[in-house]
Amino acid sequence: MIRRTAAGLFLHDLKNRGLSAWTLSLLLIAFYGILYFGQYYWTPDNPCTDNASCYSEGAVCEAGACLRESRIERGQDWLYRTATVHIDELGWKLGASVDAAARPDGTLARDENKNGLIDNWEHFGNRWTVYGMLYTLGILLGGAWICFKYRHNRYQIVRTGVVMMVQTSFAFSLPILLKFFHKPEYYFSYMWPLKIDYLDPRNFAYYGEGLVLWGFFASLAVVPVMTLLYGKRWYCSWVCGCGGLANTFGEPWRHLSNKSSNAWKFEKVAIYTVMGVAFFSTALWFASAVLPESSSLHAAATGTRKWYGLVVTASLSGAIGTGLYPLGGTRVWCRNFCPMAAFLGIIQKLGRFRIRVKKEMCISCGLCSKYCEMGIDVRSYAQAGLSFTRASCVGCGMCAEVCPRGVLRLENSAKVDPQDLSLVSFLDESWKGAASSVAAKI
Amino acid sequence: MKIVIVGNGVAGVTCAMTARQRDPHAEITIVGGETDYFFSRTALMYSFMDRMTRRDLEPYERKAYAEQRIALRRDWVIDHHADAKTVHLSSGATLSYDKLVLALGATPNRFGWEGINDVKEGLVHFVSMQDLDACERLTPSTREAIVVGGGLIGIELVESLLHHGIKVTFLIREPYYWPVALGREEGDIVTEQLRAHGVDVRYMEEMKRIEVDAAGRVSGVLTNKGETIPCQMLGICVGVRPSIDRLKAFTDPPQLSRGVVVDETLQSSLPDVFACGDCAEIQPIEGRSYIEMIWYSAKRQGRHVAANLFGDQLRYAPPIFFNSSKFFEVEYTTVGEVMSLPEGTPTLFRKHPTKPLCQRILHNGDRVLGFNMLGSRWNHEILERWIRERRSPAWVVAQLADAQFDVEFGRANLASCIQRELPLAKELSR
Repeated sequence: MIRRTAAGLFLHDLKNRGLSAWTLSLLLIAFYGILYFGQYYWTPDNPCTDNASCYSEGAVCEAGACLRESRIERGQDWLYRTATVHIDELGWKLGASVDAAARPDGTLARDENKNGLIDNWEHFGNRWTVYGMLYTLGILLGGAWICFKYRHNRYQIVRTGVVMMVQTSFAFSLPILLKFFHKPEYYFSYMWPLKIDYLDPRNFAYYGEGLVLWGFFASLAVVPVMTLLYGKRWYCSWVCGCGGLANTFGEPWRHLSNKSSNAWKFEKVAIYTVMGVAFFSTALWFASAVLPESSSLHAAATGTRKWYGLVVTASLSGAIGTGLYPLGGTRVWCRNFCPMAAFLGIIQKLGRFRIRVKKEMCISCGLCSKYCEMGIDVRSYAQAGLSFTRASCVGCGMCAEVCPRGVLRLENSAKVDPQDLSLVSFLDESWKGAASSVAAKI
Repeated sequence: MKIVIVGNGVAGVTCAMTARQRDPHAEITIVGGETDYFFSRTALMYSFMDRMTRRDLEPYERKAYAEQRIALRRDWVIDHHADAKTVHLSSGATLSYDKLVLALGATPNRFGWEGINDVKEGLVHFVSMQDLDACERLTPSTREAIVVGGGLIGIELVESLLHHGIKVTFLIREPYYWPVALGREEGDIVTEQLRAHGVDVRYMEEMKRIEVDAAGRVSGVLTNKGETIPCQMLGICVGVRPSIDRLKAFTDPPQLSRGVVVDETLQSSLPDVFACGDCAEIQPIEGRSYIEMIWYSAKRQGRHVAANLFGDQLRYAPPIFFNSSKFFEVEYTTVGEVMSLPEGTPTLFRKHPTKPLCQRILHNGDRVLGFNMLGSRWNHEILERWIRERRSPAWVVAQLADAQFDVEFGRANLASCIQRELPLAKELSR
């Protein structure tokens, strides 16, 4: 039952797909739309003398500038242009102020593209700076709230603290610093296949030997080993920015994930499709770089780059992934589309991580399922008394947190009682190990 | 084989699901009048507090029943003919059965308080979906509420009402919170929680008379201390009893006492009629009959009865008792015998000097008998095993950390709990 206070009604509306949730979702999607696509979708008001000198379709020359004919289209243009240019300009100012303070001689050069947007690899002030700052702010403010809300739960505090730290350092400050020193912009908190560019041979020259080697090592050694030991949670809810935002800023909507078995079926098809596409694209890019000049292979590589960027990176991870927080829950991207999550999930199934279920203690209340952001029907395992590992589980620990009977626990051990039996250890029960020796000191 | 199960609570539905596993061809029908689909009664408070929707309370997807070929009928059984092996429904339909399972559940207790018959509105319990309806209907027009009865359901209702900004007075007949399960020390911790949340908790205060306004809505309660406390909503949570009233009117009722009397195979006095869950009063060959009225035993009995429908003749015996709960933020686990043990039973009581964290370990000098753990999470499977293995109290204390079940990084600090000998004391008011 909704709490009948102004705050109660508003929060219910916001958290349960009410008007405010729809509004926020539209705003978020619009923001991502402008961020990613804004620059492509307006007619540049380049100077003109007559209609013929306006090369854009349907544009006319008015007062020396190209404008579109219809009012609606003019409105759209104005909106996109103003929003994009302003966000870009804000980023520039932020970057420039830091730069001016650090380098009074003013080495910052402003390069603009044909739309007047700041478009320069070398410096760090543009709309992406603004986006990164907002993103980090979302994680920091949301994270502070999580640390307060779950202050009785050390797992949540430690996990959230790490997410906030990683975001502030590796995902925000460090790339800016790297750019500041004219080094390649590299996000150490992201890896292939989530950041698919890192293993794209086209970019190897830009990143340089060291970073390329690190990229291979991180994706093919660090990721599998860590996941075998701790489950995919070490990445998805401790390091990754997508997971970080979901678990902090996204907290009010975590329960909106769809728990039905049909949603699970969709998830399995969708996520492994994207993973397949990601693997295939990478293979294609390597092939096109390694194999002798073949124009059709090059064309295919260029095509996949463009479409992967457009569909997976910009639309699915950005606009849909975050834009749908208030409607579809916080992990729409992570659950259904992220190739990294798919990759980690497969390894997780082989590793040590699991959710341990105490037998017979579940009361089937369903809070665990309700608050599972990945849409796992945790209750079905809990009420059956079965410990389990699901590929999609990101180990946020919220099922264990909300369980009113303490039935669930996240664990890294595949064995219930690690036993190293010898006759002596069997008789004196010394095999019970570390936990016992701690208890013995009490 | 035609199996008819009366009641779509946890006992009935577990029985149906288990029976389906056993026999892919049985014709299984569940008749239940409370709701269309099985829901988790234990989670009513979370729906009341807007943490879940009502649909979220359903433990199985709705299509699961069709997939398992379990027919659901929203209806009440009003009569039973043993010879014809039929039950009659309030809609007029008749169902024939080969095996009948009564999983009728329980009904809230009401005692003969003065004025209770004049109440037309404002009185609620908190165990059925209809109770939740009533609570939600009354909440917007309630500023002050009184909850009577210091047990688990009572404190859940208190917590829910607080969530809606209602001022709550909690009347508890006993000298401290829930003395049938908790010692005085644990009870005091819960009292602190209640008071910290702004509840007016009153021990050894009973309801004497219910006052109503002109429209018949509850307007206040006169207590045994002579005070009249105003309220617009009165929650009565003084336990439940088997729902057998309806059965008394049947043509052929099974033998009834406090509940439906069943033997250890959960079979009633009538052939092919079984009972399980809250309504079953189990009469062992020797000893006193007992009724187990918690979620876990309903589930267990549901599974058990399903096996016996197919002629297994398994004798039901309750395992070592365990239960758990959560009082606001304080979690509670109990295993084995605690307050059912005689006064003076040796007890190790360990308590953190400042935090609401304590462990009570009952023993008989040689071996542990029971645990009452408050404020942190425990693995009851291990505590249970220690009781079964007849471990000594000293051994248990030394191994205690093995049974902790707290979240990673959040293991409760047992070392800072101060341990003392505290023979079991009982302060039951009667």
